[in-house]
Amino acid sequence: MKKTVLIERKTPVVGIPRALLYYRYAALWETYFRELGIKTVLSPPTSRQILEDGAAMAVDETCLSVKIFYGHVKALIGKCDFIFVPRIATFGLRREMCIRFSALYDQTRNVFRETHQRFLSYNLDANENIDQEKAFLNMGETLALGYSPAELKKAYAAAEKADQRAWREKLRAQEQILKSKGLKILLVGHPYILDDPYLGRPITDFLRSMDVLPLRADIVNRDTAIKRSLDVSPSCKWEVNRELLGGVEMLKKEVDGVILVSAFPCGPDAMTNDLVTRKVKDVPLLNLVMDTQTGSAGTETRLESFVDIIRLKKGVL
Amino acid sequence: MKSAYLGIDVGSISTKGVIIDDQNNILCSEYIWTEGDPIGAVKRLVRSLEKQLDPSTWQIIATGTTGSARKLVGTIVGATIVKNEITAHAVGTTTFYPEVRTILEIGGQDSKIILVENGVAVDYAMNTLCAAGTGAFLSSQAKRLGIGVEEIGEYAARSQHPTQIAARCTVFAESDLVHKLQMGHPREDVIAGVCNAVVANYLNNVGKGKKIVSPVVFQGGVSKNSGVVKAFEKALGCPVTVDPNGHLMGALGAAILARRGKGRKAFDFAVEDTEFHVREASCGRCPNNCEIICVYSGNTLIDAWGNRCERGAVR
Repeated sequence: MKKTVLIERKTPVVGIPRALLYYRYAALWETYFRELGIKTVLSPPTSRQILEDGAAMAVDETCLSVKIFYGHVKALIGKCDFIFVPRIATFGLRREMCIRFSALYDQTRNVFRETHQRFLSYNLDANENIDQEKAFLNMGETLALGYSPAELKKAYAAAEKADQRAWREKLRAQEQILKSKGLKILLVGHPYILDDPYLGRPITDFLRSMDVLPLRADIVNRDTAIKRSLDVSPSCKWEVNRELLGGVEMLKKEVDGVILVSAFPCGPDAMTNDLVTRKVKDVPLLNLVMDTQTGSAGTETRLESFVDIIRLKKGVL
Repeated sequence: MKSAYLGIDVGSISTKGVIIDDQNNILCSEYIWTEGDPIGAVKRLVRSLEKQLDPSTWQIIATGTTGSARKLVGTIVGATIVKNEITAHAVGTTTFYPEVRTILEIGGQDSKIILVENGVAVDYAMNTLCAAGTGAFLSSQAKRLGIGVEEIGEYAARSQHPTQIAARCTVFAESDLVHKLQMGHPREDVIAGVCNAVVANYLNNVGKGKKIVSPVVFQGGVSKNSGVVKAFEKALGCPVTVDPNGHLMGALGAAILARRGKGRKAFDFAVEDTEFHVREASCGRCPNNCEIICVYSGNTLIDAWGNRCERGAVR
């Protein structure tokens, strides 16, 4: 007589680096894995240690944000079965992601090839007719844990819903600030710089300590932003920078100053920051470039004097 | 007893101090080298100012500090206001030149542009990562050419055909300069070319996208260099004013801000005889490992900073 054996489905632990597009897709990614019963671990917030670890592994020409990303990947090694590194290439014509995101999965695997770490990825590429949903379904299959297509579809639907909910929450918070009274400054930068606790958060905190209300060019209705960006540049091909260009157009009349925040070196920002500098008239504008420097004095001097200039202009200093 | 206000500007290269009265008249001033020791420089500065001021007539009731060592020096002298150098320069310059529209400033380590409308600063820019075209670049090139930095203007004035020097980046400018010298370009032409390169770099970097409107005032250590002043006038097509007190504008601005501010505290000249020392400590409470600066007067901790979060708070 044959014995019946129960096979337990052992789900892996997935590590998510708290860097780059995590700041855009946190709710989407975390909900998707949770729906499938997969545990996730998040790398700790960026610290000087993470930045230095990452910079030591990256080629010099890579941007600061990718260097930080490698530091986060390193922090996850040994803490999970898979490290999650999606490849997000393009959403369509003139809706491309920076080339770094197309290369991220392959590059990361190569940088960490000696650790024998396993990586998990999804490939979003409109040129191959793979949209976000399809990318997620494909990834679910590569997990090879016996999820049925229906289970995967359901998990994705829940993830997308959570993503939209989180996004609406952000929009609402920004709406609140817009309605408040006070000195408003628009921050223009990628979320992975502005939201990073080591890079961008100190800027927001410092502005708040000076009683400034910081607004964000990336937290606006994305469809409207993409449309408005066409007025500024018909040919810009970068999706996120398009959103930023449109966001600046939508908000520049509501603010007292504009601060461009970039990591060094950033190709797309190098082009669009120049565009913004020429398009934003009558509003004081500050250009901040973040590098591996540790001192905050330079940044604080620039921010403080920028706010002073605005206050001098308003006659309140 | 009449009220006076002290302004101190401690830069990377020089330390400036000025005392003004209620009408912004300069009662006394001093300009010395920082020599990498901001505390020592401020003590020497205060000693010199004390000698120039009549203590039976004037009482300093507010003190302002500015410049890159403003925080440290502000703690030591008990400043009533600590302000960044851009605001201080803007306030100082617009007080003496109410009609100014553009303030150009090139110092030892950094460069700035301040745009002014109706006597009020409305926009500014500062060099980003690149220090090309600042005083440090000029003095290193003067050294390479075997002339004093103060002689640059004189040499440049003799040039008939300034040499083209790549202006984009200091490193390239330097190798281009060496190349041009080896090709046989006369020294005065190369020096004039360096002055043009400093101006081209400034206008392409700090001045990018900014509308430069006359009247223009030029300040900072490099403004003492007539070669660069002439190069600016040629590039902008308008006269460029260099005030003989231009180097004091930051300190003046700090003094004016102290006068305008609410804080009042009698200045004690005893700081020149007090022992101050600074200790650097690594926090070590998290992976950021912040460098915390602790300032002591004798054995008493008077201030500390440098921590990114409250875990590193000393007091």
